[in-house]
Amino acid sequence: MIEAASSGSGGSGTAAEAETTGRYIVIFAGTDTDASAVLSSAAGLSNVASSRDFRNRGADLSETRDADATVFASLGMAVVSANAEQAAALQASSGSQGKVISVVPELVHRVLTDSSSVYAHGYRDGVADLTARLDSGADTGNGSGDRPANFEDSATATWGLQATRATSSPQSGKGIKVAVLDTGFDASHPDFAGRNVTAESFTPGESAQDGHGHGTHCIGTACGPRSPSTGPRYGVAYEADIFAGKVLGNAGSGNDGGILAGIDWAVSNDCAVISMSLGADVAQVHPPYTAAGRRALQQGSLIVAAAGNNAERDAGNFGFVGTPANSPFIIATAALNQQLKLAGFSARSAPARGGQVDVAGPGFEVYSSWPMPERYKTISGTSMATPHAAGIAALWAGATGHRGLELWATIVQEAQRLHAPSVDVGAGLVLAPQ
Amino acid sequence: MIHITVTVDQEHLRVIGDVASVLRAKGMHVEQVLDNIGIITGSLPEDRRPDLESAEGVESVDEQRNFQLAPPDSGVQ
Repeated sequence: MIEAASSGSGGSGTAAEAETTGRYIVIFAGTDTDASAVLSSAAGLSNVASSRDFRNRGADLSETRDADATVFASLGMAVVSANAEQAAALQASSGSQGKVISVVPELVHRVLTDSSSVYAHGYRDGVADLTARLDSGADTGNGSGDRPANFEDSATATWGLQATRATSSPQSGKGIKVAVLDTGFDASHPDFAGRNVTAESFTPGESAQDGHGHGTHCIGTACGPRSPSTGPRYGVAYEADIFAGKVLGNAGSGNDGGILAGIDWAVSNDCAVISMSLGADVAQVHPPYTAAGRRALQQGSLIVAAAGNNAERDAGNFGFVGTPANSPFIIATAALNQQLKLAGFSARSAPARGGQVDVAGPGFEVYSSWPMPERYKTISGTSMATPHAAGIAALWAGATGHRGLELWATIVQEAQRLHAPSVDVGAGLVLAPQ
Repeated sequence: MIHITVTVDQEHLRVIGDVASVLRAKGMHVEQVLDNIGIITGSLPEDRRPDLESAEGVESVDEQRNFQLAPPDSGVQ
C-alpha cells in the first residue's frame, strides 16, 4: 500500500505539506480529449509519449524518460515536465478551451514503512490522543471528527434532516419515484396536498388509507414537504413521487404475500427506491427476499429496510438483523440518536451472509407526519431511520442518475463514517448530496 | 393448508406462467404470480410441499412469515 509522503514524516498522522517532484499532473476533461494537441497548443510541449503507444503492456517509463509529457489515455491524464509558466498556461486553458480540468503538482508516494519505531510512534501518538480526548471529556463515540455531535430539532428542520445534511442539499428528489411499503397513507393530510401520490392496498379487505399511523410517519420522513403548513421541515425528498403500498394492515400486521406483491408493484412502476420499515425477528435469511432484492436491483429498484429493534443494549443484548433486512440484496438500516450514537434498541449485524448492518440513519425521537387529526408525532425506531436512508437514496438517484447496485454503492461511499463499530452502524450515517 | 411463497429460478423467469400451471396441477392454490420478481404465492396442503420443491423451475418453497408492528402508541416502532 502506498500513500502520499509528507515532508518530515514521523508517522504522526498529522497533515503536512506534501513532497512534490517538480512535474505536474494534467487532468483532461475526458478520455476522448486530444491530449497531445492541448499540451502542444497551450504549453508548447511537443515531445509527448502516449500510453497508447505501449498498447496493453503499460507505459515503460524508461522509454518515456526524455519526453516532455506522458499521456495516460485511458485515464484522461498526463504527467508533464513543465516550468511554472507552462503549468500556468495549461491551467489557464481550462477556462478558454474547457479541455483541461486541473493541473496539480505530482506528489511523491512511498511504501508505508512498517518498522517497529514507526509502529511505536503511532502507538504513542494514539495513546496521547486518547488521553487528551478523555481528559477534555470529548466524545470519542460520535462521527463528526473533532467535535461531538448534539443535534436537536429547530424551528425550521428536524434534527435528522440537519444530521443527514438534507437541509443544505440542492436535490429535492424531483422526478424520482419512492415506494414506501407500510400501513398505507393518510390521503387527507394537508402537508401532502398537491403532491403526486399513488396509493395501492395489498392488504385484503382494507383500503390504502392508513389506519395505524406508521406508514404516514415513514412517508413523511422520506418524502414530506419542504415547507409544511406548520412546524419544522421533516421530509427528505420533498419533490419525489410517492408510491404508498399498504402491505401491513391497520392492526400493523402483514405477511410475505402482501410485502412481495408490494415490491413487485414498486418494481413494475420503476421506483428507484423502496422503503420497508418492517421486519420479523428471524435470523435465517428468507429466500424470497434474496430473490426479490436481487431482481429488484437488476431492474433499478433499491430496497432499504429496517435493521430491527430487537436489541436491549442496556441489558447487554445486542440483538440481530432480521428478515427481510438480512437479505444480501437489501440495505439494512440502523438507528442513531441526536449524538450520532447507536440507539439502544438498534440491532447488530447477524453472522449470516447478508445479515450485516449496511448504513445508519436518524432513528431516535423522530418528528414526522401522522394521520389527522393528530397531524404530527415523534417516535423512535429503526423504522424511522429507514425512510431517512430511503429519502437520501432518492436524492442521490436524482443527483447522479445511478440506480440499483450503483445507487447502493453511492450511498455507502458517501456515508459519514462513525467511531461506532461497523457491526452496529455499517458504513455510517447516510448523507445527502451537496 | 399452509401459505407459501415459491421462488422461481432464474432460467424460468420468462415462463413463470407455465411454472404456475405446473404448481396448480400439483395441488397449489395460486393467489399471485409476481412476474417482475419471479415469485408465486398461494397455499397448499402441507403434505404436498415436497411435490412442489421438486417441480421444474422452482428454486425454493418457503412458508410465509408474518410481520407485526408495535401499536401506534408505542414509543419505539
